[in-house]
Amino acid sequence: MVGLLHGGALVLYSIAGLALVGALASGRRRASWFPLATVSAATVLHGIGLVAFVLTFRELPLAWLAPSFSTLAFLIGGYLLAITAVHEGPPLGLVLVPIVVVLLVSALVLGISPAGDPLSFRGVWGSLHVLLSFTGCAGLAVAFASGLLYLLQFRELKEKRFGRVFRFFPSLQTLDRLGRHALGVGFAALTLGLLLGWAGTVQVQEPLEGMRSEVAWGVFTWAMFVVALTARARGGGARNRRGAIASVIGFVLVVLAYVVLRVFVAQGPSFL
Amino acid sequence: MALAVIGLSHRTAPVEVRERFVFNDSEAAAGLLQLTGSGGIREAVLLSTCNRTELYLVGDRSGGENGGSGNGSAATNRAWAAVEDPMFQAAERMLAERAGMPVSEAASHMYRIRRLEAARHLFRVVTSLDSMVVGEAQIQGQVRRAYESAAALGGDRRVVGPVLSRLFESALRVGGRVRSETALGVGAASVPGAAIELAKKIFGTLRGRRALVLGAGEMSALAAECLAAEGVENIVVANRTEQRAHELAGRAGAAAAPYSALPELLAKTDIVATATSAPHAVITRDLVQRALPGGANRPLLIVDIALPRDVEPSVGELENVFLYDIDDLNQIVDANLEKRRAAIDPAERIITDEATAFWNWYTSREVVPVIRALRDRAESVRQMELEKTLKQFEGLTPEQREAIDVLTRQLLNKVLHPPTVRLREAVNNGRGVAIVDAARYLFDLDPPPDEGGK
Repeated sequence: MVGLLHGGALVLYSIAGLALVGALASGRRRASWFPLATVSAATVLHGIGLVAFVLTFRELPLAWLAPSFSTLAFLIGGYLLAITAVHEGPPLGLVLVPIVVVLLVSALVLGISPAGDPLSFRGVWGSLHVLLSFTGCAGLAVAFASGLLYLLQFRELKEKRFGRVFRFFPSLQTLDRLGRHALGVGFAALTLGLLLGWAGTVQVQEPLEGMRSEVAWGVFTWAMFVVALTARARGGGARNRRGAIASVIGFVLVVLAYVVLRVFVAQGPSFL
Repeated sequence: MALAVIGLSHRTAPVEVRERFVFNDSEAAAGLLQLTGSGGIREAVLLSTCNRTELYLVGDRSGGENGGSGNGSAATNRAWAAVEDPMFQAAERMLAERAGMPVSEAASHMYRIRRLEAARHLFRVVTSLDSMVVGEAQIQGQVRRAYESAAALGGDRRVVGPVLSRLFESALRVGGRVRSETALGVGAASVPGAAIELAKKIFGTLRGRRALVLGAGEMSALAAECLAAEGVENIVVANRTEQRAHELAGRAGAAAAPYSALPELLAKTDIVATATSAPHAVITRDLVQRALPGGANRPLLIVDIALPRDVEPSVGELENVFLYDIDDLNQIVDANLEKRRAAIDPAERIITDEATAFWNWYTSREVVPVIRALRDRAESVRQMELEKTLKQFEGLTPEQREAIDVLTRQLLNKVLHPPTVRLREAVNNGRGVAIVDAARYLFDLDPPPDEGGK
């Protein structure tokens, strides 16, 4: 059942993504309700899938690789839904839907079920720590999408190319605003998440040795947020563009860091 | 029921004629009540814009023809014309009266469109395929207002009934479909519109933005007008001759500023529209760099619609400065018009589908009364003949009489079944009206006037 619901959500996310690609390629307008309806349906189905996971396994989908991927995809899907409802927002799905799809496909391939020992953390604070950290990561993904589209639209406008990208992508102002909000929300969530994690380890006097990779990755992600926010604040005349560049590079580095840590350092079935 | 359109547009009448046919709301209301109260016209809607004045009319067809004279399509057309012609004449008189010109002169500018083509015409109008600028967005709102104004009229004697209600609701839906499913309304089709399109791609909404208009000529005035229409609240006009800057600022609801304040103005503005007649560049790279030391903190859009150009091309290389000249804007306009042209065929296909669907519904309203009349007539003939026959065989038992009654009824049903089915099918294959007329003619049917509209 959990896999089936996730599969359904994957199909709906893919339909939304394909519709957006089709609209970009053909230059034809689509009814504005279509992406909103498909993303809404996908997110709802995905949410039901996660609830089914909780009911089936009596565990939160916040640890182990596949359930974590699914939760992260769900949070990005939630962001996407909120953005799709915003005027001019749907094109961000061109970047966000593939991220969600990759995460969901990975989760389905790995099998969305607890793998191995129960969660290494317990209680509300531990769960909140992971959830907030994932929310921060989702925020960085949205900032990446906004930044990437901002840079492409900026190039089209500067080079006076009034083709499909110019027409289909949102205005620079909208992309900048979405990126700024995503960075703000993501940074606040991740900072709180990291603080909760730190407080948790201090309280239970848990040694950090076994969690080196996730601590390193969390702090590295937080640093990328700081770099992106600083670029926005101190970029002078080019602050918006530099903020977009920093968001894009930051997200790419965070993903690369995760892959490196996952492949070369982390062991076992946990997220890291 | 007969459906028709009469009117004039930019295709048939020059502006000096069209302006005489423009109705305000109260004149339109009075005209519609007068028309629908004159007999023969059951429903009416008046569409009056700067490019067209049209009356959409529904007449009482069954009251105006007997359906049995003549033969074939010529007879059908004559039957329709018997209803439509008086409608057209009444409408011509009303329109000519408004324009204050003889009926014959007014009529010479008018077109008359009937039945299915009338529905198709409205669908083309609402989708802007019949507009001066194909793809313009205003017409849909104008059609909606015309329909809603007419629908609100009349009290117990309404001027919009089921036919025009269905027609206009369908038309507005078609307008929405064409806009969402084709690129007919995509982008701007004029240079000022293209400048606004560019501004929106940078700033999103223009509400609350600050704009500087350089020059006080026709193009500057147009630019100020367009910016104000988009919600730009703070517009400053600067011109070498301050008097002219003040004049334009007064007309556009803007402020005037001296030319010498250009650096300070540039530092505070989001959008610059420049159209001076200066023979050299007015905005140089050096000026912008001095006005914005350290670069623009926010995007600065400069639209240069002057010839020769007012802005040094290298200004566009500065960070956060977006510079476009008249060629760039024309490039946008050309691309948009090309897209619109490519969207005409798909739009026409949608219109044809929707017009056919409307016409099928419309003709189905005529089929039911005809089938009923056909069956009533056959039944009355059967009853009459049965009565005569039974009188000749008075010795028949009740069972025998019942058997004959059943026999004749079954015969009748078998004979009437194919034409009944064919009539219903005709509604869906677009031949409804012709088949209905043929049935009326062949079986000499003449439904009572009230039945036609139910």
